Amino acid sequence: MTQIASSISLPTKGPTTKGLSNATIARVFTVPGQVVSMLVLILPLLVALYMSFTDWSPTRGSLFDAVFVGFENYSELFVYDTRFTYAVIRTFLISTVCLCLEFSFGLGLAVLFMRKFRGKSVLFSAFLTPMMILPVVVGYIFWMLFQSNGPINQVLEFMFGAEAMMEWFRSAPPAIFAVILTEVWHWTPLFFLILLSGLNSVPENPVRAAVILGANPRQVFWRVIMPTLKPVIIVAFVIRAMEIIKLFDEVFMLTRGGPGSSTETISLYIYKLAFNDFQLAYGAAAAFMVLIGSLVLVHMLLAPVRDQLLEGE
Amino acid sequence: MEKKLSPLQTVIMGVALIVVLFPVFWILMTAIKPPTDWNASPAIWIPSEPTFVNFQTLFDPDALGKYGVGGVSQPATKAVLGSILATFVSTALSVIIGLFSAIGISRYGNNSKATPLIILSGRMFPPAAIAVPFVIIFSNIGLIDSYIGLIAIYVAVTLPFSTWMLKSFVEDLPREIEEAAMIDGRSKLAAHLTVTIPLIKGGLFATTMFIFILNWSEFMFALVLSYTDVSTIPVQLAKYVTATAGTLYGVQAALAVLAMIPLVIVGYLIQGHLARGMTFGAIKQ
Repeated sequence: MTQIASSISLPTKGPTTKGLSNATIARVFTVPGQVVSMLVLILPLLVALYMSFTDWSPTRGSLFDAVFVGFENYSELFVYDTRFTYAVIRTFLISTVCLCLEFSFGLGLAVLFMRKFRGKSVLFSAFLTPMMILPVVVGYIFWMLFQSNGPINQVLEFMFGAEAMMEWFRSAPPAIFAVILTEVWHWTPLFFLILLSGLNSVPENPVRAAVILGANPRQVFWRVIMPTLKPVIIVAFVIRAMEIIKLFDEVFMLTRGGPGSSTETISLYIYKLAFNDFQLAYGAAAAFMVLIGSLVLVHMLLAPVRDQLLEGE
Repeated sequence: MEKKLSPLQTVIMGVALIVVLFPVFWILMTAIKPPTDWNASPAIWIPSEPTFVNFQTLFDPDALGKYGVGGVSQPATKAVLGSILATFVSTALSVIIGLFSAIGISRYGNNSKATPLIILSGRMFPPAAIAVPFVIIFSNIGLIDSYIGLIAIYVAVTLPFSTWMLKSFVEDLPREIEEAAMIDGRSKLAAHLTVTIPLIKGGLFATTMFIFILNWSEFMFALVLSYTDVSTIPVQLAKYVTATAGTLYGVQAALAVLAMIPLVIVGYLIQGHLARGMTFGAIKQ
C-alpha cells in the first residue's frame, strides 16, 4: 500500500501552468481508482484471512462474534479434503489442454488468413463470433448440443451408428471432454485474433531475404516468422491463462461440477462450498489460499511480458 | 507474396466455419421452435413452424397456453431490467473513474511498476474467491441482494480493464497537444477536459463498449449476491435451466438469444479494438 501512495505523490516535469500542482492533480485523478482497486484486492484478502481462522456461518450473527478455531479450516482443506486438491489439479490440467488446443487451432486459422481469398473480412468477423457470446450462454448452448437427443449425438449416430451415441454428462471422461470442447470453441478466436495481428505485423524484409537465400516456405515460417511472433504468442498465453484459471460460468451451465465432483474447477469448488453448503469460514480458507496462489501465479506469468504489458510497447 | 488458398485449405476453412457457426445456428433455431419441436427425438434442426412465442413467454408467462404447455414460473422482465440497470450504471462509473486514473497515471505518474501490477493481479483473482469475503462483508452491512452492492462489485472488477485500456489510448496522444492548451492559459483540468478527452473519444467509445461486454456477461457475482430483489439475465437463464430441469428449451434459448444479441452487435462494432482490449493494451492493432 505504501508503494502506491509514493507512486502518485511524486510530481513529474511539465510546463508551469496555473491551477493545481501536478502532485495534487495526480492524487485527485488516481485516488478514486486506487481506492476501488484496494477494495477489491486488499479487503477480500484481509476478510478471507480473518474468516478462515473462525467458524463463522451466516446463522452465527455478526462477523465479530465469530469463534476462533486456529488452523482447523486449513488442516481440513489440505489434509482431509482431497476435493480441493483435485479441483486445483483438474483446473490446471483442463487449462493446459485448452490453451494448447486453442493455440494450435488459432495459429492454423491465422496462417490460412494470410492467404488471399474472397470474403475475407466477412469470414474474419464470422470466426470472431464465439468470443463475443457471453460465457453463460456458451455453456447453455453446449449443454443443449450435448443432450442425449441433441445434435452432436445425432451426427455421431449418422456417422458411426447408434453405438457411438453418448450420455455426455453421466460419467467423468466425456463430461471433461465436453467442458474442454466448449472452452476451446469459445476462446480459440482470441488466439486467432492475437496471432493474426502478430502475423500481419511481421516485417517483410527478413522474410524476403530468407526466400532469396533459398529457404523453403517451412523454414521461413519456423525460423523467421515464428521467432518474431514469440512476444505476441507469450502475451496470448499469459492473458488466456489468467482467464481460464478462473473457469466457472461454462462449467456451471454444463455440468455443475458433476457427475459427483469430477468436473469441479477451483472456482466451482469454492462456490459450492460457500454458497451451496454454506461453509463460509471453510470457503474463506480456500478462497484465501486461491487468492495467494493467484498473486504468486500472476507474478510468475507476468515476468516474461512485464515490459510489453506495463510499458505499452 | 500473398498466395491463394489451396483446395485442401479451402475445405479446412469451410469445416472450421461450420464448427464455429453451428452452435450459434442451433441456439437461434431453438429460440424460434414451437414447444412440439423443443425436445423432439431425433432433434429437429429447422423448426417446422417458426414462432416468436418463446420470446413472448419471457415477458408473459401465459403466452404458451395455446400450445397446452405450462409456461415459466417467473417472467424474465425483472432480469432484463436488472441487467440493463446494473450494466449501464456500472459501465458508466467504471469508465469515468478509469478515465481519470488513466490520465493521472500516464500524465502525472512516475511510471511506478507497482500500481499496474496490483491492478493486473486484481484482474486474475477468481471471482469465486473474491465473492466469498464480499458476501460476508455485504451480509454484515446489508448490501446483499441490492443493486448498489452489485454495481459496486462490477465497478471494482472492471476498473483495471477500463484504466488500462484508456491508459494505452491516452499514451498514444502526444503530450505536447495538452501542453499547448495549458500554455494558452487553460488550467490542467480544463486542458484535459477540452483537449485530451475529445481526442481519445474513439478509444473512449471502444473502452465503454468493452466494459459493457464484461458487465453484461458477468454471472458469478450476480449469482451469489442476488436472492429476490435483484436479478440479471445470466442468473435468470441459470434459474430457468434448474427450475424446469431444463425442459423448456425454447424459452431458455429465447432468453439466451436476447442476452447475446447486444453483445454480438457491440463486438462487431469494436472489432478493431478487441485485440487491444483483451490484452490490456499489450497488442495494438
